[in-house]
Amino acid sequence: MGQVGGTKAKRSRPSRAVKAECSCRDTSIAAEITLLMNTLRELAAIRSTAEDAAARILDSAENLLTLADKEEAKKAEEAILSIMTACGFDDLVGQRVTKITETLDRVIATRLTGEEPGRTPTTMPQSEITLEGPGLPGAKHDQARIDALFRKKN
Amino acid sequence: MALDPSMPVLVVDDYKTMIRIIRNLLKQLGFANVDEASDGTAALSMMREKDYGLIISDWNMEPMTGYELLREVRADDHLSRTPFIMVTAESKTDNVIAAKKAGVNNYIVKPFNAATLKSKIDAVFGDAS
Repeated sequence: MGQVGGTKAKRSRPSRAVKAECSCRDTSIAAEITLLMNTLRELAAIRSTAEDAAARILDSAENLLTLADKEEAKKAEEAILSIMTACGFDDLVGQRVTKITETLDRVIATRLTGEEPGRTPTTMPQSEITLEGPGLPGAKHDQARIDALFRKKN
Repeated sequence: MALDPSMPVLVVDDYKTMIRIIRNLLKQLGFANVDEASDGTAALSMMREKDYGLIISDWNMEPMTGYELLREVRADDHLSRTPFIMVTAESKTDNVIAAKKAGVNNYIVKPFNAATLKSKIDAVFGDAS
């Protein structure tokens, strides 16, 4: 709450204008926090939906692999395995959602307290490792690059 | 160590979907004896109860990450020679190098396919034989 001007020692109540301004600001911050919380709920829903979808796809793919007619299943095996590995989208969606959620948590905490919260980076003691999770599309995270790193002598 | 499809394999990942995917891929490769753990702490506990021929682990897990699990495994005289493949979305060069220095046998970046998993498993046991 801001203080109203005046040189007298007597305590004065905030003016109506100041009260209105403070109220608007508080309402604005409260609305913003509500919006951010709703966004977090949406993100949780995305993760849940992705997980359910991946589980259903895997159910179907596993059933295909156990078809009574093994010959037919064998022909489709490569395609079925491709479907299964594609279900890894659920894991990557979850990791990206986690990154966004952590950022929003920090924003909410900052809005609530008015100060930057202490960061808790995912760092390992005794090392300089920081985890980034999935890279952005277009970033060089291909298997070939990593294989090349492994082929290098220490 | 020769590749023996009957050997117990431990898959470590906090995402059930990923465990299910890897389990299915391993089954198609002939590995039927597959256990699972949802984080490094549980995995380490299981490894101290049972001899595994191969560990396939994610990195980003809590309370113990795959990297920390790898370091624990390599520091344990009984477990140190266990083949260990990291399967993770972590692709930063520094992290890959750190895992290599910590003694990981191979490193697969997500998303991956069945052929990649097979080739990396073959490479690990081919190097060891």
